[in-house]
Amino acid sequence: MAKNTLSSRFRKLDIDEFDENKFVDDHDEAVDNQGPDGAEIDNLIRQGDMMTAFHIALRNPPVNTKNPAIKERALAIVLRVLTSFKSSDIEPAVKSLDRSGVDLLMKYIYRGFKKPSDNSSAILLQWHEKAFAVGGLGSIVRVLTARKTV
Amino acid sequence: MPGILTATLRPYLNAVRATLQAALCLENFSSQVVERHNKPEVEVRSSKELLLQPVIISRNDKEKVLIEGSINSVRVSIAVKQADEIEKILCHKFMRFMMMRAENFFILRRKPVENWDLLFSHHQLPHGADVQAQAGGLRHPLHGGDRQGDQRDEVVCQRQGPYRRRGVPQKCKSSCMSFFSPRSFKFYLTSMFLTSAVLRKFPNIPYADHDRHHGF
Repeated sequence: MAKNTLSSRFRKLDIDEFDENKFVDDHDEAVDNQGPDGAEIDNLIRQGDMMTAFHIALRNPPVNTKNPAIKERALAIVLRVLTSFKSSDIEPAVKSLDRSGVDLLMKYIYRGFKKPSDNSSAILLQWHEKAFAVGGLGSIVRVLTARKTV
Repeated sequence: MPGILTATLRPYLNAVRATLQAALCLENFSSQVVERHNKPEVEVRSSKELLLQPVIISRNDKEKVLIEGSINSVRVSIAVKQADEIEKILCHKFMRFMMMRAENFFILRRKPVENWDLLFSHHQLPHGADVQAQAGGLRHPLHGGDRQGDQRDEVVCQRQGPYRRRGVPQKCKSSCMSFFSPRSFKFYLTSMFLTSAVLRKFPNIPYADHDRHHGF
């Protein structure tokens, strides 16, 4: 008995790590989306085809990657598309999205709010208003509870 | 120029209100780490699965609202616009004034998070914590309350403070007016203006459904 109680190595063990009920985030490395294609979007913006640029920007969201550079790039592209929209075109663009598209749009809007630059917040607020009208409180709740951020 | 500035105010307030409505969906949740304890998870941050994504709504780079949610508590941090030195000083003094009286305010935190100006915190307690729950109250020492204690304390004693004779404030809006005496409060007019501006952003915060807990 004396020999066992001398060692205090057990104190360095974090017992909570081995708890079988401990919450672990799912790691989905399988699907690796790289984010929208910048060059293609640039072309479309120059041509003035905002709707197609918008839809392409919202494809392939980098939700599964841990790499912040990819996420930054995707965010920059989407924000560029969002800010080059005219106010009157925002509503039809939002209406053309399906449910998961609206959720994704909300995620990008909230990420865009984190780094306000010149006029981006004003446009984003307009986008938020229109997206909220279509998606409702549910879309905001899905942004708050999402484990995989865009 | 003024047209552009005020044009963002309404969408900004609407966005904050919508996000707050989504984030203020709370329920009673006892601590998973310590038995018989009920802690605001957004302050403790011990378990990742109980926390929501923190979300910022910004009107420009000076004015924003950060909303951090969790299963039983929400933290709202406000960055107030301070254009020049005098506004910085006024804001600092006003916030100090409010936060020193945080226990009467019930939902105001004594210390703001880094780089933010003003912090509201709301914790959904079980129904037995009567008065505190009505005002959305916190009893965590961080928020100026008593020791958190455990849930065996069904009867929570009322502390006698210097402003207690004015009554326990029921809602955020009235509480600011009800507990300071003009003698101790120098910036009376400015504070009224700032208070109404700040508090107008949060009218009628809906509480989570208390009635569900009656069956306990």
